[in-house]
Amino acid sequence: MKSIQSRLSVGLFSVLLIVGLIAAQLSLWVFEIGMQRYLEAGLRDESENMLVAISRGSTGLQLDEQRISPAYERPFSGRYFRIDFPGGSWRSRSLWDLELPRPEAAGLHSDVELGPEGQHLLVLRSDYRRLGQSISISIAQDYTPVRASFQRVRTIGLALGLAALCIVLLLQRMTVKRSLRPLERTREQLIQLQQGRRSQLEDQVPLELEPLVLQINHLLAHTEDSLKRSRNALGNLGHALKTPMAVLLSLAASERLRALPEVSQVLREQLDFIQQRLARELNRARLAGDALPGMHFDCDTELPALLSTLEMIPGNHLLIRSETAPGLVLPWDREDMHELLGNLLDNACKWADSEVCLTIVEEAAHYRLSIDDDGPGIPVADRHQVLNRGARLDELTEGHGLGLGIVRDIADSWGAELLLAESPAGGLRVELSLPRRT
Amino acid sequence: MRLLLVEDSVPLADEIIAGLNRQGYAVDWLADGRDAIHQGASEPYDLIILDLGLPGVPGLEVLSQWRAARLAIPVLVLTARDSWADRIEGLKAGADDYLTKPFHPEELHLRIQSLLRRARGLANHSTLEAAGLQLDEGRQCVVQGAKEVQLTAAEFRLLRYFMLHPEQILSKSHLAEHLYDGENERDSNVLEVHVNHLRRKLGKAVIETRRGQGYKFGGAVV
Repeated sequence: MKSIQSRLSVGLFSVLLIVGLIAAQLSLWVFEIGMQRYLEAGLRDESENMLVAISRGSTGLQLDEQRISPAYERPFSGRYFRIDFPGGSWRSRSLWDLELPRPEAAGLHSDVELGPEGQHLLVLRSDYRRLGQSISISIAQDYTPVRASFQRVRTIGLALGLAALCIVLLLQRMTVKRSLRPLERTREQLIQLQQGRRSQLEDQVPLELEPLVLQINHLLAHTEDSLKRSRNALGNLGHALKTPMAVLLSLAASERLRALPEVSQVLREQLDFIQQRLARELNRARLAGDALPGMHFDCDTELPALLSTLEMIPGNHLLIRSETAPGLVLPWDREDMHELLGNLLDNACKWADSEVCLTIVEEAAHYRLSIDDDGPGIPVADRHQVLNRGARLDELTEGHGLGLGIVRDIADSWGAELLLAESPAGGLRVELSLPRRT
Repeated sequence: MRLLLVEDSVPLADEIIAGLNRQGYAVDWLADGRDAIHQGASEPYDLIILDLGLPGVPGLEVLSQWRAARLAIPVLVLTARDSWADRIEGLKAGADDYLTKPFHPEELHLRIQSLLRRARGLANHSTLEAAGLQLDEGRQCVVQGAKEVQLTAAEFRLLRYFMLHPEQILSKSHLAEHLYDGENERDSNVLEVHVNHLRRKLGKAVIETRRGQGYKFGGAVV
């Protein structure tokens, strides 16, 4: 879609150009007609003088040379005449050896060209009756200088017009920019909205934009509200289901079902499946609900709490350490980050022999999170499969599956990349590169 | 071992109590947070299992109040909220362990077992070891040297309590308070009978009688 600015520019440019050209051409034309009328009057005077100069002589009609202007004597002076009458024709000496064609009809003609110099002539043919004969007098005047000056005027006018057009366009651009500034502000706010740095648009906008902005705000509020509601509903449902599931799990393990081991086995499997699916979906719902980032993850305060939580898990007699720069704050939601790191570290703890290490490094465009363990690791060939396990919910398996599934959901929602590699400590290294948020 | 279960779901509480009873724990049950604040602080429990979603007072608040009143009993938090952030909140409030619903009953038993040992400063091995005896809590039997000795439920309870408190003088009333729940009658004669049974099975020297004071387990080398 073209921008409004360029549309306006193109529109205004073409309108101004067309109107300007038509107006200039029309005014030139009107002016030329007026000019020709004026010149015609001169030519008519001239031709009437000529008529008066014709008298009856001894050999018929004769022209009194004294009464005509000397300009007609000088060759190619720019003033010419020819007089046709039944007994013959005269022409001015100024024509020299050229022939001035006799116009077909009486009146003014401007389309006659003469001689090697290509003089444009304005010719007036007037028909009279005098001394009992019909006399047709054609008076011509060189029109070239007038033409040339018209041409000059046209060129200058064109240049002036173009300059004016440029100035108008420039001014129009400024005006449009000024008047579109609220639109530009709204556009910036929409970008911020998309990046999650804003939840509503400012409603201090021009009248024309107000319905749009109000409607967007209304929709945003509505979406957020219904998202929150459905997320809460899902959360409540999920949490409400967990207690009955605990009852069922306990029942499946109880004495009453000891006689039916296969029933209890199926019951357990299905309950485990429901539980994993529930955990995954609850996590997804939580992620989807976070349109706005909450509190950020401050490594100095949050990591010790997380690590001591992990150390408290029975069977974790491991050394869990973290290496981060002091004062490092990860600009992501605190709760999501806990979920991500908690699951990754928990997984590492399950496989580690003695030590798990979390390293967070801030780089130019990324935050690089690495979790190393000194456990058995995963062979290169299987890594891809491990990463993708749990991509589909019906493929969930114990252990690696669920935790990594949740981690991947979070990573995906942040546009982060999850990699498995060999750790210098001997086991597996899970590496996450989180693209920096703007 | 006497436990307090604070859980508002009756069916779940029934299941947990039944399971814990089979494991030889005496369990008192409360469903309301307000009662729990009071009773948890006044009765001599060995461990408390606390649900966080309670009517009356929320579980975390109950826990904070206990800890503020310097109650040192280990608390295992039981909750449907399974996010790591919730887990951290729970542990910050003073929980010793955090188990999310739904859970396998064995998981709960293992957590309780390890928490009780941890509270006594004992290593978390597969069996409980004290004074040359190895108690297998899952199978409720004890290994003495190369010999495996079967125990009745009552003997198991008593021996476990002794083994978790080795070389301490334990009075009959103290033992009765920690071995029976609040509703069962505490008859000190019954205790005496069980102590004698244990002595017959494991040797006289295992439990020493301190006249007027009570019993002492593992004082003499067996």
